[in-house]
Amino acid sequence: MSTRSPARLVVALAVAGVLAVFLLYTAVAGHSTPTLTPSQLGAHSGKLAIVGVVVGPSRGDSHSARGLRFGLRNIVGSSKVVPVVYRGDSPPPLFTVGRNVVVSGSYANGRLAANSIVTKCPSKYTATTSGA
Amino acid sequence: MADLGRAALVVSLGLSVYALVAGATAAITSRRRLATSARNALFCCFGSTLIAAVVLASALVRHDFSFTYVAQHTNRTLTTPYALSAFWGGQEGSLLLWLLVLTGYGSLAVALNRKLLRDLTVWVVPVLAGIGTFFAFVLVAVASPFGTQTAPLDGNGLTPSLQNPYMVAHPPMLYLGYVGLSIPFAFAAGAMLSGRTDERWIVATRRWTLAAWAFLGFGQLLGAHWAYVEVGWGGYYAWDPVENAALMPWLAATAFLHSVMIQERKGMLKVWNMVLVALAFELSVFGTFLTRSGVVNSIHSFSKSPIGSWFLAFVVISTVFSLALIMWRLPLLKARTKLESALSREATFLYNNLLLVALCLTVLWGVLFPIVTQVFKGETRTIGRPYYDFFLRVFGLPLLLLMGIGPLIAWRKASFRGLVKLLAWPIAVSILCGVALVLVGAGSSKPGLIAYTFSSFVLATIVLELVRGTRAVGSVFTLISRNRRRYGGYVVHAAIVLLAIGIAGSSAYGTSTRARLTPGQSVSVAGYTLSLRDVRRTQVPNATETRAVFDVGGRWHGTLASGDNQYIFPPEPSREVGIKTSWTRAEDLYVIADDVNVKTHVVFVQVLVKPLVNLIWVAGIVFLLGAGIALWPDAREQRRLVTRLAPAQA
Repeated sequence: MSTRSPARLVVALAVAGVLAVFLLYTAVAGHSTPTLTPSQLGAHSGKLAIVGVVVGPSRGDSHSARGLRFGLRNIVGSSKVVPVVYRGDSPPPLFTVGRNVVVSGSYANGRLAANSIVTKCPSKYTATTSGA
Repeated sequence: MADLGRAALVVSLGLSVYALVAGATAAITSRRRLATSARNALFCCFGSTLIAAVVLASALVRHDFSFTYVAQHTNRTLTTPYALSAFWGGQEGSLLLWLLVLTGYGSLAVALNRKLLRDLTVWVVPVLAGIGTFFAFVLVAVASPFGTQTAPLDGNGLTPSLQNPYMVAHPPMLYLGYVGLSIPFAFAAGAMLSGRTDERWIVATRRWTLAAWAFLGFGQLLGAHWAYVEVGWGGYYAWDPVENAALMPWLAATAFLHSVMIQERKGMLKVWNMVLVALAFELSVFGTFLTRSGVVNSIHSFSKSPIGSWFLAFVVISTVFSLALIMWRLPLLKARTKLESALSREATFLYNNLLLVALCLTVLWGVLFPIVTQVFKGETRTIGRPYYDFFLRVFGLPLLLLMGIGPLIAWRKASFRGLVKLLAWPIAVSILCGVALVLVGAGSSKPGLIAYTFSSFVLATIVLELVRGTRAVGSVFTLISRNRRRYGGYVVHAAIVLLAIGIAGSSAYGTSTRARLTPGQSVSVAGYTLSLRDVRRTQVPNATETRAVFDVGGRWHGTLASGDNQYIFPPEPSREVGIKTSWTRAEDLYVIADDVNVKTHVVFVQVLVKPLVNLIWVAGIVFLLGAGIALWPDAREQRRLVTRLAPAQA
């Protein structure tokens, strides 16, 4: 009777299986989105997310054809203001000028056509003066 | 009072440094009195930390705004429970809670095991003291909760959406879990340092690990329920890095709880268990680093602070320490027996472990992905829900299946034919269930159908085990009380099945619709009809409440309101959803009026019907019940333990 343990074979197969699934996922279904600050946008275009602070005035209505219009700038340090037009569901209730947000959409010609806004959630007891 | 708190923390730091240095010296030189002195220093460290904690709690209850921490996190309008909850709400307070729980847990674990495992606990004391030294140092030098100022008239207050009972309990539950994982880690390190790498450290820490794991699991469910009822986006888990920070150590601890059974029974997987216990501990500290450093982008806004870099340094040092110990003691960590067959209970537990660790590392990769892409590509890229959902199915569904096979398959070696015979009833039940589900239209989601079929298989195996066992001993209570660990485990498995059914039901079979309504107009979804009756705005003491009121007809008749609150102090908005739970139909009607215009009376509404979502919360209660059964003191087990450990002590 062979005394060789199948444990190594099991582990090796499992590791190989996991790697195979990773490769499969990254080859077939893997999508990652560039997540940039306004100052990092540079020559980027296409689908991306921008992390920034909302700059006013915030005008319009997300349900209308013209959309909700506002600007985004860097949370830390100075940057140019990126104009955003958001169309879709109403923005989260915490959305307001001065709030840190992640806005996703399609970026072209220096403007973001957004379809998602995520505001930072106050998951901890943060000081209201922090603006977080 | 603040001076007393500061002094108590300095004493805690001094005592923990003493316990570290004296404890290590005593262990190396085998000086018993010095070891006792180090142990007593650890006990006293708990005492001094308790004094600091009482000072802070007292300041919070008294609204003493001369404490900067109290002014930053509370105000006069808060009731005592919410004012006290600010203890763990802010960074400095949560670190103090960490040190308090660590020294409390550590003192109790050392005191309970000091006679039975003397040779091991002499090393456990300096390891725990080392962890305590880090936290005490951060509290004294970097993030003290006892900073003072000229007292303002009132404090900043608490974000309204956090004034929720679930948020009072959720953070301390997680902390009890995170810190609890320090105990098995310290005993594992103590076992390697002392060269006593047999199963005694596992037996001694089993309940500690189980309790920490239960707190961590239940704490996450409390957070998920808060998100569901309070945040108002219709979901409960967003795969956010901060949420994942709690999931990762729980997954590693789940793997550890299973693999230690193999070591206890067969003397196998010793290195693997050391790796797992270190991984669970490191991930619990890494979670704090993630939340506090701001290194990854999260929807959760924690206050950023310099402690992130201190935590990173601690994670690196403790990881190197753990790996060096494991490498050093590799010769002592050889397995007593080998895996004889790929079809055996040992092998099934190994598969379970590999899948759990793979899922854990997958989540870790997702969390670290933005950092990796920033470093190697110079551009931050994030991966979202599709990535996590994909791997949850790939690893989670086989895990579900193994949960049914693992407890029934024979140790050492099983035959395929014997296994099929053993599982004939559960297989038949799951096939019938699958066919019935297809017939009622559940085949619209293949992952959902597989999850339900596998769930019915696992539930059938649990019922089969209970029926067989009850027949043998006469009553189900006798059965459970004779082997609480095993049957507590079955109850936990049942909870995981309920969780899987709830997640699959609410995500794979949910329906939703959006509409723009004016009074008198209606929208229909999944058998419900919602007619907008009215739009109203009312002023209550601390908020302006805007609500859209809907008359609901069809599968349920009644009224639901949804809208938002605009609070005056602190000036924050909150979304208020309307939820109608139907236990008979096992579903929630979830209404989000996300734009209510009181001038035009136009309302944009999203209506969701979420089948089986409440099984997720029921699973939490069943999970606690199972963990409680497994944790409950067992005289038989205690006798077995004493008999087993006595020769090793002699």
